[in-house]
Amino acid sequence: MKSSLTQPLLALGATLLLASSAAAAPQVDKTAIKAGTVITLAGEAIPDGVIVIEGGRVTAVGAASEVQIPWDATVIDQPGMVAFPGFVEAHASRGIDRPNETLDVAPFLDVKDSIDPVNFYFEEALRQGILTINVQQGNDTVVAGQGMVVKPFGMTVEQMMVRPRSGVKISAAPKRGKTRATQAQALRGAFDDLQRYLEEMVQRQKDGDDFDRREALYQGRELEGEAAKGKPLACSGWTVDGFERVPRGEVDEKREPLLRIIEGKLPVIMWCATPMDVHAALRVAEANGFTATMTLALAPACWKAAAKIKESGCSVILAGLEDDELDPITGESIETFVPKVFHDAGIPFALMSTGDANRSLWYQAARCVANGIPRADALAAVTTTPAAILGLGDRVGKLANGTDGHVVLFSGDPLDITSVVEHVILDGAHVYDRSKDVRVKQLFDGTRPPGTASDTSGEEEWPGDGDDPEDDDETENNG
Amino acid sequence: MRSYSTRPDRRSPLRRLRNLGIALTAGAALTAASLAAQDDPAPEPAPEPAPEAAPAAPSLLFLRANKVIVSPGKSLDNMGLLVRDGRIVAMGTDLAAPEGVETIEGEVICAAFIDPWSVAGVDASSARTDRVDTASRATDALDPYGQDEVLDDLLESGVLMLRVEIGSAAAVSGVGAVIRADGAVPVLADAAISARLYAPGLDPVSRVGQVDRLASALGGAKKYADDVATYESNLKTWEEEIAKKETELAEDFKKAKKSRDKKVKEAKEEGEELKEKKYKEDKRPRPPKFDAKKASLARAVGGEVPMVIHVEQALELRELLRVTRPFTRMRLVLAGGRSALLFADELAERGIPVIVTPAPSSPGGDVGEMDPGFALAGELSARGVEVLIGSGATSASASRDLPLLAAAAVGHGLDEDAAFHAITAGPARVFDLQSKVGSVRRGLHADLLVLSGDPLSSSTRVLASISGGKVVHQAGN
Repeated sequence: MKSSLTQPLLALGATLLLASSAAAAPQVDKTAIKAGTVITLAGEAIPDGVIVIEGGRVTAVGAASEVQIPWDATVIDQPGMVAFPGFVEAHASRGIDRPNETLDVAPFLDVKDSIDPVNFYFEEALRQGILTINVQQGNDTVVAGQGMVVKPFGMTVEQMMVRPRSGVKISAAPKRGKTRATQAQALRGAFDDLQRYLEEMVQRQKDGDDFDRREALYQGRELEGEAAKGKPLACSGWTVDGFERVPRGEVDEKREPLLRIIEGKLPVIMWCATPMDVHAALRVAEANGFTATMTLALAPACWKAAAKIKESGCSVILAGLEDDELDPITGESIETFVPKVFHDAGIPFALMSTGDANRSLWYQAARCVANGIPRADALAAVTTTPAAILGLGDRVGKLANGTDGHVVLFSGDPLDITSVVEHVILDGAHVYDRSKDVRVKQLFDGTRPPGTASDTSGEEEWPGDGDDPEDDDETENNG
Repeated sequence: MRSYSTRPDRRSPLRRLRNLGIALTAGAALTAASLAAQDDPAPEPAPEPAPEAAPAAPSLLFLRANKVIVSPGKSLDNMGLLVRDGRIVAMGTDLAAPEGVETIEGEVICAAFIDPWSVAGVDASSARTDRVDTASRATDALDPYGQDEVLDDLLESGVLMLRVEIGSAAAVSGVGAVIRADGAVPVLADAAISARLYAPGLDPVSRVGQVDRLASALGGAKKYADDVATYESNLKTWEEEIAKKETELAEDFKKAKKSRDKKVKEAKEEGEELKEKKYKEDKRPRPPKFDAKKASLARAVGGEVPMVIHVEQALELRELLRVTRPFTRMRLVLAGGRSALLFADELAERGIPVIVTPAPSSPGGDVGEMDPGFALAGELSARGVEVLIGSGATSASASRDLPLLAAAAVGHGLDEDAAFHAITAGPARVFDLQSKVGSVRRGLHADLLVLSGDPLSSSTRVLASISGGKVVHQAGN
């Protein structure tokens, strides 16, 4: 069972996706899903419910007795299963070439150029029922590139795309080689540079206009019509007088994303590793007018700044559930269940998967319920709240008329540890069927996918694969 | 040593969160107010505090003591103080507590202690780093969370304000701040620029080299400031000239148009292209390239903010005093200064204060046999040098013992009033906060201590600490 598992599996990633896409190849216009229970997250759960998806969008959700299934729809009838809108991952730095960039300030970069559609992460997301993912650059940065919201299915980035330029990752925590003081300095410097750049632009334009006017006076000419006008700078933090003189197209494309940030047109995801970083984050956001378009991505220790966050009105994305501290007197560990602090403070919070697949979104939501957060709020933290953070509140995270045609069929309740994702319907297409998931099959019953060797004899051996008696004592225990 | 047993439940994380939440909310408002007020150039407080827009419920506090130390060496007996919205609004012997107002009584009331040389409240890695420059700011490194234990201790010991700096391993460490220990909130974001001419173990040539590097940095900053000033004056001249020219052009426009129309006609008749008159004017002067580091250091060179330099040994100190002579507007402050007695006359003459950290002499140490030990503060003061006492920025918890350090200096010859000045009015004056804190006067911020006895006695207890009008510590609570 353990033998030579990893190597062929890597090669199989693409096979699975190909197999699934072949199954979904005849793009059906209309799909109807009948399930024992439909959890809509837009009202009460519906027993014996039906979801109709036409042209990739949900057109009807309701009880079987009330909803008319179109005669030409493909029907997926699973009376024993639970239909669910699918989880939304508000922030992930996976599925890309590498998470971090060496440049300090690089908002002109785009993860679009870095996303790898056959990355194992997307396949695993599908298996965990995560159907909307905001891919952002890593946290080891000052101002990183722009993120992108994708769905975990498609052979090209364009097919996966849900929303491009979804936001820019900024870090208030020090990038490698920096301290908190110099990180804040670099961050402030990035926006100060922008301001100086824009001011110089305006000054150049003004000087040119003034010269032209005087030249015309001198030469006795009437001045021809005014040059094309831009728009004034719309930033609540600071402004540059006369910016409307400059056509927007003249702004350097490397600086343009920062301009969009301060005008609130490009959202910011701000990483904070400690509570003091939250203060630094709010300071830079306030000074540059993007508090309202900022979401804080927080390490567990940041719960201590909850009062400050509440004041700012920002939503948060929580990277981890527990914060452990040592009591300074007794040395005992004090554990704080972080989502509960934010829940009690009334701050909208989204959960995020950590790097560990065993801590996927369903698990984290279940832990929230176990720690006293009402089930509806725990579910919101992995569906509607992250959807709202991404500006996709009316498209994903719930099942209602007009939402994207994404449905996950669970074998039972989505937060139950024994439940598994059986089917995934994405934009009305049946893209995942657990019974055909080659990896799951191999993991659970040893069935090898067609086209691979049926036994391991004569195969190349890999150190540590458990085949050699001298590998380690774990083999003996298992054997 | 302190004992934890008197505060049974205060370390519970939830309680800390709650406390912090309140502190931060109040702190944010305070910072805004105090930072806004910072530009106010008036050295003396207005006799009457600016009538603030009356909030719905002003926060009132009444303090009474048998002795109020108004300023070093000057005290009044049997006084009451009324504090409203963070300021002292009334003082008097016949002043009675308004009805229903919280009252705190004690033996002595005095200004809160200010540590002029500290790293308490600053994120530990930022405090120690060498990767800072003159434009780095201590306000970016304030950590009310990681340092809450240290800050709590400060409230108990009466050290309610600190001048903090970052980058203790760097030659020039940027802009330091004065903060309140309560919540690590800045009172003055740009208190001083600090530098260091103290690298134990370095050979003498390199040590002199350090001073030269500092001098050339100061020179570079001065040149930058001069260039900016030249640019501004050139710009003004240019703008005036251009404005004049524009008026003239506007007046001559009709004539110019007439002559052009004629030319256009001629050109048409000849079948030639019209040749426009060439217009010339002086170009707008260009500003010097912006340099954040030089711009920051230029503020110290120009005397806008003091320049604090940590120097211990005579070699560097002599060089430093020599190379800084041309920078007449710079307000130099020495920190450490264990060999400062050798230059006491020049320090007194140039009005250079010294931040002393009282410590026993170590004859085998950096300063050798010359080290005056605990007597340094007293002897400098006796020779007319202004002495401040600071904890030395060696560790965050060192600030707690500031009053004891002052007492130790008194025990070795420093005048008692001078010692009190060294941790209250002195730091307030040197860092331009004398119109806000450092003494007890109407209109000043209420950063006060209520004590059981003499401020510098080790047996005196801090009965209450009032930081910005808020009671942040009360004995027995």
